[in-house]
Amino acid sequence: MTEQGAWRLALPLALAQAAFFLAPLLLLAATSFATDENLGSLSLAAWADVLGDAFHLQAVLNTLRLGAVTVLATLLLAVPLALLHLVAGPGLRRLILLAAILPLLTSVVVRTFAWIVILGREGVINSALLSTGAIAAPIPLLQTEHGLVLALTQIEMPLMLLPLIAALRRIDPALLDASSALGASLARTLRKVVLPMALPGLLAGCTLVFASASTAFISQSVIGGGRLAYLPMLVWQQAMVVFNWPLAAALALTLMGSVLTVAAALSMLGRRAAHA
Amino acid sequence: MTTLSRRTLMGAALGTLGAAGLPFRAAQAAGSMTAAVYPGGWDEALRAVLAPALKQAHGVDVAFEPLFAVDQIAKARAARGVAPFDVFVLDPGPRVSGMDLKLFEPFDPARLSNRARLPAGYSDEVGAGVAAQVVGIAYNPKKVARPAGWRDLFKPEFAKHLGLTGFGTTFGTISLIEMAKSVGGSEADMEPLFTELRKILSLVPAVAQPAAMPGLFQQGQIDIMYTNTYTVTLLKSRGVDIEFAVPETGAAAFGTTMHIAKGSRNIDAAYQYIDTMISTPVQAALAAPPYSFVPVNTEVKPGADVPMKSIDDLRSFVTHDWTKINPQRPRWIDRFNREMAK
Repeated sequence: MTEQGAWRLALPLALAQAAFFLAPLLLLAATSFATDENLGSLSLAAWADVLGDAFHLQAVLNTLRLGAVTVLATLLLAVPLALLHLVAGPGLRRLILLAAILPLLTSVVVRTFAWIVILGREGVINSALLSTGAIAAPIPLLQTEHGLVLALTQIEMPLMLLPLIAALRRIDPALLDASSALGASLARTLRKVVLPMALPGLLAGCTLVFASASTAFISQSVIGGGRLAYLPMLVWQQAMVVFNWPLAAALALTLMGSVLTVAAALSMLGRRAAHA
Repeated sequence: MTTLSRRTLMGAALGTLGAAGLPFRAAQAAGSMTAAVYPGGWDEALRAVLAPALKQAHGVDVAFEPLFAVDQIAKARAARGVAPFDVFVLDPGPRVSGMDLKLFEPFDPARLSNRARLPAGYSDEVGAGVAAQVVGIAYNPKKVARPAGWRDLFKPEFAKHLGLTGFGTTFGTISLIEMAKSVGGSEADMEPLFTELRKILSLVPAVAQPAAMPGLFQQGQIDIMYTNTYTVTLLKSRGVDIEFAVPETGAAAFGTTMHIAKGSRNIDAAYQYIDTMISTPVQAALAAPPYSFVPVNTEVKPGADVPMKSIDDLRSFVTHDWTKINPQRPRWIDRFNREMAK
């Protein structure tokens, strides 16, 4: 096949994407501008409801904040672990990788329900704190935002750790030695050599964790509960219980748009850093 | 000249045999069907009891599709009115939605050989009742006193153990309506409910999705919840400290019904499925532990955990008009979301 005809190789995937992703997405967009799912007549009511309602806007902000806080929490734990992986011997490296992959081998439903056992009023954390006398009465962990972030940090950790480890592994150890030989401190080497070279992996991890945490319907509804309003739950409720499909479509597009905007911003940040 | 090899001949022979076998496979397919079933306990019970009984009585194979009632309606709606299964199993709210959306085939109760074993009014032109649910208050007797009624749930000593769930399910909706009535509200006026909920909200340890409630109870996060007798029996069988309290104003009850999906190609099998479901042996097996269904067959006595002696007692229970509830439910769901939000 000539180079000019090579585009044909992408045709099957392009056709599949058009049929199974683009077409439903256009239908979703059309539904959000209709009065009902039959697309009978045009209406901006659903969008007015999303953009003009403080409760829905608060749900958008809650969702974005949850994604951002989870990214920060996973970063805080993943970066030291990835650096340890970089300098560790083969045995410890295997152990870190196993610990990173292990959560992926369990269903997200199982992991989420396990967190009920850990965070509950009579759960592992409260029982331990009560038995040591650190607290006099159980502290609320389940159905709180910090409890949810804690659970999501564990659930999403592999998405941050694996790209970060992959990026760090690509750094030539000779560069670190050269930096040190030229008199740079460890902190300066990390800032000037390791961080710029690990940035693509770091940003990939941030994007993955953000997208996954802000759309984590099961964890948000089971661990977060009904007092924390997030977009995925509202989409499900409007689509499956209330049958208000135009509002469900508008909320779903808002969720997708918000997540895509943050992902695009992270990508732009990466490009700027690469050219800096 | 064309020569016939042994392989060609074998292929032709097998093809002919295969073609001859086609009518046989088609006949087999006519003896099979797909039924929606609630996930969890219902799925487990119907696979263990109903499926073998149906196969034995009518030679029909049934494949189950586990879906909650609202999900069945949503799926049929998404498929433009043609459900991807032959039989619905629904609570009253989704049943009314299904009728409004014309998702059911016309139903002829005369085709049920067990029709006489159902109380009057349990089969009609859209479907047949196959079980009942009794809703009241479940509590952990080792942690809290027995609540006398719905009004008690607003008292701080009970509220600090209470798990709340919204209007997303039938049992949640009717429990909240009964709670509203206990503080001066009604189906037409839910304002007193929200006023009282606002007062206790800071004490309530969980506001959760209905499916999460049993898990939260089991883990000790909550010690009081509104639920049905079926959930209480199931949790009790797994060693959870739980009792069912009939509120002083009476437990609420509703029927679970089955309907043949519009456009079903297995109408005969669907009737046989529903008929077998209401037959005495199947209803008796489902009423016994560990399933503990509330039977609708008049020849079968409800289990010890069900606060009734026969299905006729259901008339004395609190019931609700879903044709009035359904139009208001989206507004209540939205209001509940906003009131609960931190």
